Amino acid sequence: MSHPQLASIFNKDEKKVNWHDKALWFVRHKRDMSVHHVQGWEELRNLGHGIKAHMLSNLDAYLEEFEANAKKNGVEVHWATNAEEHNQIVHKILKENNAKKVVKSKSMLTEECHLNPYLEADGIEVVDTDLGERIVQLAKEPPSHIVLPAIHKNKHEVDELFQEHLGTKPCDGDPQYLTGEARKHLRQKFIEADAAITGVNFAIAETGGFVVCTNEGNADMGAHIAPIHIACMGVEKIIPKLEHLGVFLRLLARSATGQPVTTYSSHFKKPKADKKMHIVIVDNGRSEQLSRPDFRASLHCIRCGACMNTCPIYRRSGGHSYDATIPGPIGSILSPGKDLSKHSSLPFASTLCGSCSDVCPVKIDIHAQLYKWRQIITKNTPQPFIKKKSMQMMGNIFAKPKKFEKIGKIARWSLRNLPKSLINSKPNAWGKARDLPEGPKQSFDEWYNERKQNKNS
Amino acid sequence: MGSRAEILAKIKANKPESLELPNIDPLIFDEGLNLVEEFTKKVEVVGGNVREIKSNVDVISHVKTFFPDSKVNFSTLEKTTDFNTLDLASIKSPQDLEDLDVLILESDLAVAENGAVWVADSQLPFRVLPFITKHLVLVVSKKHIVPYMHQAYQKLNNAPTDFGVFISGPSKTADIEQSLVIGAHGALSLTVFLKS
Repeated sequence: MSHPQLASIFNKDEKKVNWHDKALWFVRHKRDMSVHHVQGWEELRNLGHGIKAHMLSNLDAYLEEFEANAKKNGVEVHWATNAEEHNQIVHKILKENNAKKVVKSKSMLTEECHLNPYLEADGIEVVDTDLGERIVQLAKEPPSHIVLPAIHKNKHEVDELFQEHLGTKPCDGDPQYLTGEARKHLRQKFIEADAAITGVNFAIAETGGFVVCTNEGNADMGAHIAPIHIACMGVEKIIPKLEHLGVFLRLLARSATGQPVTTYSSHFKKPKADKKMHIVIVDNGRSEQLSRPDFRASLHCIRCGACMNTCPIYRRSGGHSYDATIPGPIGSILSPGKDLSKHSSLPFASTLCGSCSDVCPVKIDIHAQLYKWRQIITKNTPQPFIKKKSMQMMGNIFAKPKKFEKIGKIARWSLRNLPKSLINSKPNAWGKARDLPEGPKQSFDEWYNERKQNKNS
Repeated sequence: MGSRAEILAKIKANKPESLELPNIDPLIFDEGLNLVEEFTKKVEVVGGNVREIKSNVDVISHVKTFFPDSKVNFSTLEKTTDFNTLDLASIKSPQDLEDLDVLILESDLAVAENGAVWVADSQLPFRVLPFITKHLVLVVSKKHIVPYMHQAYQKLNNAPTDFGVFISGPSKTADIEQSLVIGAHGALSLTVFLKS
């Protein structure tokens, strides 16, 4: 289904949409309050952008440097060209170690690769340990936001889910109680786990180490208890030097939730003597995206989710309407590069207002890329008849000032005089669930000329 | 061709021309912070407590009043062996630390701008300690507070460690309807003692 179709399903529950909209706008507001206190914030964003751009222009060398250093640290490094190979590698490591129970902290990459069903098919239990991810896992749904995976669920739904799966008491959705119960339930999973899988926020070429950021402490509870730690990363997670963490850790949490930094920023480098550490480096379409000059900056993304929180479309259509691992504005410029026809409606899920680009901590020109994808998609995928025809008509009108003036006059008159039943009739998409403004008497041109004349006289 | 070679070759062919690496000048971010004041404010913002003390001896007496019912305690501070009820030699695996009530660790690096305290591997007989404990107590000297993360990494560049973590406040989540709940999987509370 296309984005508009899925969005209209989400929009059936108006109260929920309003809550979703306000909750995310509040997170955006917290981001603002936090970043406005940082002296040199814009300079910090420039640095984030510059370091990532430099990294991409030398990515092969940095990957080799990272691998060499990680190996020196006693870490095993694996390479996967695609999702399938990634899943096979992780599966093989687990098999070799006879691991049956796995705890996993948040990793959008393993979502992208659909690792869980792959492992579950072989009888391996995979438990997502981030609270939001556990909630959507129990509900058998994908996350709807990269930082707030269960933002589309209300507390009563969580209450019911936990009663069913964790045997909790009805609590009218008390978040304190539910979180406490989840802590107990997942504590048991941590203690019993044979292996832990985590994502990677930043991988440092110069040290061969990597950093994982969480607020809950779930990545560390998994990685330090289980005998095996597997960290999965996309190739673009590399940063050249340790000192660059100073830039990215200052940007990440403030942009994501408005916190000055995440509760835990864990720096993994060498495994303990009695433990094993693996890193799986995954391409899965990233090197392809690197070849596109207009879109390669999308690989700068540090997954803070700020573009989702600020997006007027995302807030009102929900993450699931994007039908992609990464939803929202950033997802809409990443996904078409993977499958143009499946994701062809996503770059249109935007007003091109540019707010996403304004809040992006690494200054990705998201809205400009959305526009560029539209040009490619319109050429390469079949467009609806009405849209095609109306675009041709509009193009014709805009190209001829005399005609534009005449039709403008008729349109303004129609808006003032025709009945609403006609104006808001079906072919007019702009009249769907929305009243059009009353047509002004003057066009802008007329108003402007009149003003000029009055000034002169 | 193996996957490694394939990925690297593709990246080499597709990457743009080399762009310069920008230089970080920490001075442009400097706003002359009062380090102790800012650090204290930020730890409180993220849900932790800060107490100023004169020496390590004060730590134990404070901790005993904060957590009168704690049974299983462990501290890496010097001269606090009386406080320890946990015999690390008897701990075979990290799982055995599950009942730990209070953990006291010392740090030599804290960051004013975000209330983060650095805990390094050398302090940790088991890496899971600061996460699995119910209550975490960190002791740091005022002179070891740096203003921003940039200065923190200048220091860490000269002190490589196998594992280390910046901890800012107790563990938390807001995954249920955006309601903040302190105490997710890690410590339920965090107290930082600042030594003069």
